[in-house]
Amino acid sequence: MDLHLNPKDLAFRGRIRAFLDENLSPETRRAASLTTGFIHDPEIAVVFHRALHRVGWSVPHWPVEHGGTGWTAVERYIFESECARAGAPIYNGAGSHMVGPVIMHFGTEEQKKKYLPRIVAGEDCWAQGYSEPGSGSDLASLRTRAVREGEHYVINGQKIWTTHAHKANRIFALVRTSTGGKKQEGISFLLMDMNLPGITVRPIIGNGGDHEFNEVFFDNVRAPVSGLVGEENKGWEVAKYLLEFERGGNPAAGRVRAQFTRVVNLIGAKCPGDPDIAARLGELGSDLDAMEMIELCALSASQAGVNPGPMSSLLKLRWSQLRQQIAELALDALGVDALRWIGERPLYETLRLPASEEELLAVTPRYLNFRAYTILGGTTEIQTGILARAMLGL
Amino acid sequence: MNLQYTTEQNLLRESAGKFLAARYDYPCYQRICAAEPGWSAQIWAEFAQLGWLGLPFSEDQGGSGGGAVEIAILMEAFGRSLVLEPYIATVLLGGGLVAALGSREQRDSLLGALIEGRMHLAFAHRDGAAAVKAERRGSNYVISGTKKAVIAAPSADPLLVSAALGEGAIGVVVLPKSARGLALRPYPMVHGARAADVELDDITVPASAMLGANEDAAASIERVIDGAIAALSADAVGAMAAMVAATVEYTRTRVQFGQPIAKFQALQHRMVDMKVREEEARASCLFATLSLDGPAAQRSRAVSGAKAKIGRCARSVHQAAIQLHGAIGTTNELSLGAYAKRLLAYETLFGTTREHLRRYAAIISDPDVSATGLLHDPAAAAVPGKEEWTST
Repeated sequence: MDLHLNPKDLAFRGRIRAFLDENLSPETRRAASLTTGFIHDPEIAVVFHRALHRVGWSVPHWPVEHGGTGWTAVERYIFESECARAGAPIYNGAGSHMVGPVIMHFGTEEQKKKYLPRIVAGEDCWAQGYSEPGSGSDLASLRTRAVREGEHYVINGQKIWTTHAHKANRIFALVRTSTGGKKQEGISFLLMDMNLPGITVRPIIGNGGDHEFNEVFFDNVRAPVSGLVGEENKGWEVAKYLLEFERGGNPAAGRVRAQFTRVVNLIGAKCPGDPDIAARLGELGSDLDAMEMIELCALSASQAGVNPGPMSSLLKLRWSQLRQQIAELALDALGVDALRWIGERPLYETLRLPASEEELLAVTPRYLNFRAYTILGGTTEIQTGILARAMLGL
Repeated sequence: MNLQYTTEQNLLRESAGKFLAARYDYPCYQRICAAEPGWSAQIWAEFAQLGWLGLPFSEDQGGSGGGAVEIAILMEAFGRSLVLEPYIATVLLGGGLVAALGSREQRDSLLGALIEGRMHLAFAHRDGAAAVKAERRGSNYVISGTKKAVIAAPSADPLLVSAALGEGAIGVVVLPKSARGLALRPYPMVHGARAADVELDDITVPASAMLGANEDAAASIERVIDGAIAALSADAVGAMAAMVAATVEYTRTRVQFGQPIAKFQALQHRMVDMKVREEEARASCLFATLSLDGPAAQRSRAVSGAKAKIGRCARSVHQAAIQLHGAIGTTNELSLGAYAKRLLAYETLFGTTREHLRRYAAIISDPDVSATGLLHDPAAAAVPGKEEWTST
């Protein structure tokens, strides 16, 4: 066993660093660092995504035939860590990490040809139409109806918490195509364009001041049947497959470490030597080291062809908590400065201050928005229930 | 990077688990704990036969050249089975210091007997080297001072004692128990280990009693202690794993309100918390274990971080385990209480959770360190100047 980067890994890291030096502009970096929501705005992220696309790195985790890189797990880990460390934004995970893998696995040849290259190139921006007002954690109870009429589904209903629906040009949605039998049966997975007549988007402004969430209304929307992924009424299997990707996701340690290091700097500037803050910093740092190690063990297992087991749920559970606790420590380190509030978004367009002051204004909105981390993608309580079954056999 | 056990390591894990399951059950632990000397000569002899006492030493010293991972595998099994035999004190601290600092003659005379199971060592270092002074007088040293809470001292002979040599240097003296002026106040510790406070009153020893020549032993002591912390952490992980498993098992069989209490969501979630702490502790321990051979700066970050993290995990796991067992969890009718005491000891030995948290926080407050992930660049590791972090 060892934690060494071998000479090949180091050469790879050198290539990634050189690329980032050249292609990640100070403007993009600043915009990413002043992002207060939990997802980067596609407008700023797409610039970097296209730079990645030019060298073939925009979807590193995909199979090579669809535009992936064929990197080893360690190389992907290095890539993600270096991007995070450099402050690079992530473009539309709903495309590259959710619907992309689903289309590869369940989609028709025609769907693959139509959608995948556009995700690779950053030409499409996807939204995820899952939750409904009455269907949050109990997702399978969803009621948005899709009735087949010839070559179209006629859709009526409502989605909610649809991240970036106001920026997306496409949406994948779970819709009810049958009402008999178990609630998991009768769900279908449907791809649609956001510009179809009858789709309206209403913003939901987060407590942190950001517009990330939306309600999406479907009023007699006629969506082509060619957008059906997998079989009609078998959408729940597709949804579960997607959830595996969402929870497994990218190696997250680099992102959380970058967030942590910013707080280390903030504390160094605002309250060096405060023993209470230092103790919490130490606790979070050692939590972060432990979680990075768990992630590396899961990577090593998957590289060796061993099933890493229920670790993806554990990682989701703990990473989301850690992100919140780091944001919380930043808030507490600021003292009364945390109360200064600028309501306009995005901050990277609003602010014209010295860098060190701008950073402070992002702290409180980020703290508030980050409360969503333990709710979205399966709440902490849902993950804990999954772990009770998977790790303890309860 | 590779974090998979080798075939040999898996075999060691299986054989250690099997041996201890057969030879070291809870009644056996209770018997050994209740009588002096607080460990079993029979078991110790079997450890020697299994090659475990020579595990960390090189083959030319009579050992089998095992690394930190092998030690951690063994220690996790020891923790699971509540092993009382003073492996860390004798093999890792005592043997480790002799191997690191000793002259050829010292290694030959001490390590051979240790590996064969004929000699126990203990390292008196608590309160730091300054608690004991070694003054050079001609070809002798005169040793004076007090060392508290020296684990395994009652059974060990000789004792290894860290001492201030003057001008900031530290040495390790090999003191036979028979030395005139050496007094022991032995006592048992909460988790069953035997310890003693050691008084040294103007003991005269020849210069050859110093381990190695006159070089400063501080760096070697720190490395050996970091190794002992990683090993003790693996022991704590084993103890935690046993407590989590026992708690899950107990809640499956305990029926209240007409059903096993494991069916209640409040209890399920609390047990998941315990399991997550166990997994985090195991990962943290592995990070420390795999950082032991690296440069001092990396090692300190990993070891102090692990001690701080695992100490917190240990406390929350032992408290939750007792709570979920209900009243029976507060008694010594079950092995649970012995595990709780073992974890309590973990939190304090080789520096408390708070002390290590402070040390780790100071290290991680350097943004260059906090920004660095866990994968090591072996070449960049040797950057001079960062070594000073370590000495606290």
